[in-house]
Amino acid sequence: MNSNHNISQEQLEAIERYLNKQMTGDELAAFETKLQENEAFKTMVEDVKTIFSAIETQTMKEKMDGFHEALKDTSVIPLHTKQRPFRKYMIAACVVALLGLGYVSLFGKSANEKLYANYFTPDPGLPTTMGTTTNFDFYDAMVNYKQGDYKTAITKWESLAQTAKANDTLNYFLGVAHLANNEEQLAINYLSKVTFSEIKAFDKEAHYYLGLAYLKANDTKLAKENLSYSSYEQSQSILSQLND
Amino acid sequence: MRKHDFTTNQRLSDTDIVTAIKTNDETVLKSLYLENYSKIEFLILKNNGTKDHAKDIYQEAFLTLWKNTKEGKFIPQDQTSVNGYLYTVAKNKWMDYLRSNKYKKTKLVEDERQLEIHQDSFFSTSIDDKIENERLLDKAMDAFKNLGLPCKNLLMKFYFEKKSMREIAEELELDEASTRNKKYRCMEKLRELALKS
Repeated sequence: MNSNHNISQEQLEAIERYLNKQMTGDELAAFETKLQENEAFKTMVEDVKTIFSAIETQTMKEKMDGFHEALKDTSVIPLHTKQRPFRKYMIAACVVALLGLGYVSLFGKSANEKLYANYFTPDPGLPTTMGTTTNFDFYDAMVNYKQGDYKTAITKWESLAQTAKANDTLNYFLGVAHLANNEEQLAINYLSKVTFSEIKAFDKEAHYYLGLAYLKANDTKLAKENLSYSSYEQSQSILSQLND
Repeated sequence: MRKHDFTTNQRLSDTDIVTAIKTNDETVLKSLYLENYSKIEFLILKNNGTKDHAKDIYQEAFLTLWKNTKEGKFIPQDQTSVNGYLYTVAKNKWMDYLRSNKYKKTKLVEDERQLEIHQDSFFSTSIDDKIENERLLDKAMDAFKNLGLPCKNLLMKFYFEKKSMREIAEELELDEASTRNKKYRCMEKLRELALKS
């Protein structure tokens, strides 16, 4: 990369419009003339193009690692080893027997799910002392949450999130409640918002539960990444087990 | 963005696949990835490879499929042609790998041949330019890999997931102008990292 000078926000957005073929008319004509006449500008545009390509390609690479993790669950039988037919029938018979006995759920869990189950306990919640009037609706749902009635808590908090501007506290507890309710994708949505926030009040907790949510979703890479951002002792313990 | 229902195992038409790949539709990409892996693993395990080889070769082939479809160098007719393309690319890559190990003395000839193939399938620049472009791309990818998580997520949403600024702003609970500015600052940070020698 040769252009180490700064680009203004307007310039960057113009280059982006050009590369995405969203530029038209006079603006496009002027842009193309500048590209032909100004070598430094041309290099700058090429550099930005490389950066865009790098973001997409690196993300795709990371996504593929995530997809590959999902393959582990489908337990591919090593195809180069020949299995004796007898063994195959024995295995089939065992599977049928286990299905019949209802034991399959014990064996159906992936290593990540087991690790998740060992560590996940919902956040204990905030104290709901008598006479709290400042935010009755929020604490009313907190009572349901603490009683383990996550569905009711979620319904109340989500309606609150629609009426009032959502804040980190609300998003955090909505995330944990969804996770406790086995809705890891919804949990990821809410907890990501908290980790993005400028206010860092729930940072450690949100990264921990977000890591757990990704673990449950069997995305080991993002689980590790988020857990590494949380200074909790449990985070380090899960990380060391994931790295084993 | 239009999402495809893969749960019903429906086959996708050519336009569906091209659109899905161009917009990085994760459901479709994941499904294509999972559907084709075992055949290629079988091929590589049967031909002196390991599971690690299978993963590397398959991911290289998948990336080629993704890139070439985006750039219009491969136009899939239907889902079967995607599966066939992936298989052929992976097979060729594995054959190249085997040959390069087996016939070390002829490696130079092999390398020249590989460069020729690459040149055909890349843009019409000289080999030197191409190598330089790849070096810059690798460096920028490495910079993005090591960018802080908040910036990485924001740029990923915009440039990979192709979400609109409004959608991202809503997710971050910021107004559009602040989100746009945040994205700009993240891009500057990334450019600075990628420019470092």
